[in-house]
Amino acid sequence: MQNKKVIAIVLGIMCFALTCGICIQMKTVRGTNSTVSNDYEENNLRAEVLRYKERYDNKVEDLEKAEAELEKERESATKNDTALKEKEQEITNGNKIIGLTEVTGPGVIVTLGDSKKDASTSLDPSMLLVHDTDVLSVINELKNAGAEAISINDQRLISTSGIICGGNIIEINGEKVGAPFEIKAIGLPEQLAALDRPNGYLDILRGWSIEVKFEKSNNITIPKYTGTYTYEYAKPVE
Amino acid sequence: MKTKMKKGKITMIITAGIACFVLVLVMTMQFKIVNEADITSIENMRKTELSTELANWKTRYDEVNKQYEETVSMIEEYKNNKESNEQTNSLMDEELKQINMTLGKVDVEGEGITILINETNNDEVEKITADDLLLIVNALKLAGAEAISINDQRIINMSDIVYIDAAGIIRVNGERILAPYTIKAIGDSNYLESSLIGNGGVVDDMKKKEQDVTIQKSNNIIIYKYNGEIDTKYME
Repeated sequence: MQNKKVIAIVLGIMCFALTCGICIQMKTVRGTNSTVSNDYEENNLRAEVLRYKERYDNKVEDLEKAEAELEKERESATKNDTALKEKEQEITNGNKIIGLTEVTGPGVIVTLGDSKKDASTSLDPSMLLVHDTDVLSVINELKNAGAEAISINDQRLISTSGIICGGNIIEINGEKVGAPFEIKAIGLPEQLAALDRPNGYLDILRGWSIEVKFEKSNNITIPKYTGTYTYEYAKPVE
Repeated sequence: MKTKMKKGKITMIITAGIACFVLVLVMTMQFKIVNEADITSIENMRKTELSTELANWKTRYDEVNKQYEETVSMIEEYKNNKESNEQTNSLMDEELKQINMTLGKVDVEGEGITILINETNNDEVEKITADDLLLIVNALKLAGAEAISINDQRIINMSDIVYIDAAGIIRVNGERILAPYTIKAIGDSNYLESSLIGNGGVVDDMKKKEQDVTIQKSNNIIIYKYNGEIDTKYME
């Protein structure tokens, strides 16, 4: 009889714990995933966004083809003249620097991930996350170490790229990217490796238990910037 | 009597087992859903977010479309002027002008704002650091600044802003700069200003620390070109 009671109580506690777990899960799911809402207007908007995104993607593809063709035309138009050839080189090189062509070269890859520490054991849970200012500082140090091209989660950094944090995600070039952040930089690997020094920013991040990975590579590919450069306000001084 | 009791026990254990199994199953399913829920994906956005997203994609589409049309007409021009070196040369000059503007190799002018930052005499007020300048530049970029300079050092693609601790020296593009700091930015002046002074804005935060910051709007700001060499050795 005694034995039965114990079993019943143990089972009762187990069931209670599991039910609690499920209830918590349900709540989290509802909080993060709003697919459950079937709001008509929302669905319409969603479809519209997807349509525009698709149109944009197609246009980007067209643009890429056109750019390749332009390069070919330029090349064939300049092949008979050394002065023109030089200018053509200047254009190709310029496009590389401003991010309009994909580039490869030696460099480093830095990966920053949120801490694996249990947030409830930390005094300030936000310390366990990677913030926009962290990414900004790492980028700044990479530039200081002579990086020639940088990308974050395959978003090429250009001269007007800002980085902003909104909740758990970071926005770069208007695109949302989430942790872990993979920062690629092309430059002299030995020089870029100065980033991973005692008391450097990466070291400080590690101290906050942020997941930091640092590796050198001889072959890094950084994609082109998919946006465009337009100047509405700035005009060249004549 | 004994077997009866055993039977009852077995049924109970089996029932409890099934119940536990079902509960664990539901839990794992839930875990999977939580893991799969990608917070950056469009399925999980709400109405206001979706509207801004839509406007965002629309402008991006328009920009790419314009760029595409320009490229196509450029191809035509190259094709039509293939025989004339002079024409080809002027076409390339046109392309180079655009590229050099983006590289920061050209002086530019236009509407924008000037931010003046001075060190105060009060020792209790924090000194201006490279991070302050970095945050301002980042905010300006986000607000759509088309050109930025700090004490006439043009901010280009690979510009760094570093602080050398021991001496308290701030360097931009490797050049030392000293207070007072003048940050110039060209773009929509209202938009640029509001991105800095709104609650939680960088300048707002600095003012709360009693640092000496002022913003001036202007219709004609001149930002000088980058003076250094922009050379690349490692990327292909």
